[in-house]
Amino acid sequence: MSRLAAELPAPTGAKPARAGRRRWSRQERLAYRILLPALGSVFVIVTIPFLLAIWQSITADDGTLIGFRNYTRALSNPLFYDALRATGIYAIIVLPAEIFLGLAFALLVHRTVKRPGLRATLYVLAVLPLVVPPVAVGVVARLIYAPGYGVLNYFLQSAGLAHSEVEWLGVPVLAMGSVASVDIWQWTPFVYLVLFAGLQTVPRESIEAAQVDGATWWTQFIYIELHYLRPLFLLILFFRMADVLRVFDHVFILTGGGPGTSTQLLSLYMYRIEFKFFDGGQAAALAVLVLVSISILYSLVTRALPLERA
Amino acid sequence: MRSRRAAIWLRLTLIVTGLGVAAFIYAFPLYWLVATSLKGKAELYQSITLIPQHPTLASYGSVLFERGFWVLLKNSVIVCAATVVVTLAVGLLITYPITRLPVPPQLRVGVLNWALSLRFLPPVAVVIPYFAIVRTLQLYDQPIALIGIYSLFNLPFSIWMLKGFLAEIPLELEEAALVDGANRWTSFRRVLLPLATPGLMAAATIVFTFAWSEFLFALILTATPNAQTFPVGVQGLVTQFEIIWNDMAAAGVIAMSVPLVLMVVARKYLVAGLTFGVIREK
Repeated sequence: MSRLAAELPAPTGAKPARAGRRRWSRQERLAYRILLPALGSVFVIVTIPFLLAIWQSITADDGTLIGFRNYTRALSNPLFYDALRATGIYAIIVLPAEIFLGLAFALLVHRTVKRPGLRATLYVLAVLPLVVPPVAVGVVARLIYAPGYGVLNYFLQSAGLAHSEVEWLGVPVLAMGSVASVDIWQWTPFVYLVLFAGLQTVPRESIEAAQVDGATWWTQFIYIELHYLRPLFLLILFFRMADVLRVFDHVFILTGGGPGTSTQLLSLYMYRIEFKFFDGGQAAALAVLVLVSISILYSLVTRALPLERA
Repeated sequence: MRSRRAAIWLRLTLIVTGLGVAAFIYAFPLYWLVATSLKGKAELYQSITLIPQHPTLASYGSVLFERGFWVLLKNSVIVCAATVVVTLAVGLLITYPITRLPVPPQLRVGVLNWALSLRFLPPVAVVIPYFAIVRTLQLYDQPIALIGIYSLFNLPFSIWMLKGFLAEIPLELEEAALVDGANRWTSFRRVLLPLATPGLMAAATIVFTFAWSEFLFALILTATPNAQTFPVGVQGLVTQFEIIWNDMAAAGVIAMSVPLVLMVVARKYLVAGLTFGVIREK
């Protein structure tokens, strides 16, 4: 039906002068004929779960409407605020550490390593942690921090820095540090790669001019390179903040959210509400809340971002 | 003069020490994983040894065959391969029209931005309603449920990557084929696809790696070795058999080595593909 309608305007006896335009519109029709089914089905697949989550969140198990009760329950649950706080602390540890270390390495390599071969090797080494499955990283972390076999305690005790076993995963502060350290290990290389690529875009002439003018290592960074890196910092912050909300695997394996709720990040909390407490209504309300706030945040941040306007 | 030289030396020592520490922190965890996986059972119950005293591959045999993890490995490979095929096919269906056919620029930008926004959906929020859908469709514990959701979540990335590769290939090449009497499909298959192959291979490698690492969906949407993927098995090993460190480590090494081997095998495509599509884009 719609196909017929689309073909109707095509004039059957067009004059030669309009032949070019007709071919153009045929191509356009082809484009929509491919694009619409593909985009449409993806759109439906993405949207249905969202609508379903809204439906789940405002109905009871037997399908009767219960209004916003699930939302008030979700928002009055003190564990929710624990989860928000844990997520915030995690972000506050992880983001500055990764950005600082990544920047330091990027600057160091950019200034001191000139051999292309060595640069390529460092590139490969930086990609490596990024492709290690977070589950495997969680296993490594257990082998380092876990009581009994954890090698970190072995090192500390051999060096005489600790007399008894430190309970890395048993004390809230240390557990959060351990969980965060895993993230830093895995994601600092990502920051390094982005910033190193950014440093390559700084025009050589401005660096040379600055050096002629007597710029030091530090002023060269502050007044020239930082300027080129600024949009990348925003980009990194944006991506990494979104990632912090997704963090699940290595925390699940390393601490499972414990001790208590000290490392129960938002994603682990939602998992627990749905699949351990089987409170589907509250979990759906949380899912809707998270999706809505992410969408708002996303539309706000993308306006400030130097994304490619295609 | 002397103090200046001392300052330089001090700075150098600091940098070298810092780099040494960084290199250690980078490499030791990986070494420790491999070293632990090579230890025998007896060695685990002695005091900690940094180097395996009697290296053995026994733990790998134990994980893969005695515990039957090769089935999970097989599931993972099937799910990831199918995900790659579906993601790239749908990705091409979306990127071909917006890069090769005359569509309004607003549509192009709209599609790309929409794809990017999908990238920021938190999986845990999506999996809650998705779980209900999968149960209703009776796809719980079926590989197909994972294939579907992995394809969906990898689609944004593949759209952006493929768009980069396709935009690099001159339109004239296809037009020449069309003038020579080929139809759209033939020129796509015989002209565009071969030229886009390095890019497609790079995208395939990365999508495979992402799907391989995925854990949350697999944990929630599968229950038995019928559909469980390898990371779910690894997690089970950690939470149920805490003390069997060498098996745990062996499972970790297996989980880790697949993407690494893939990266090495496909590095030619990755370098060609990524420089082709991304670095040269601007």
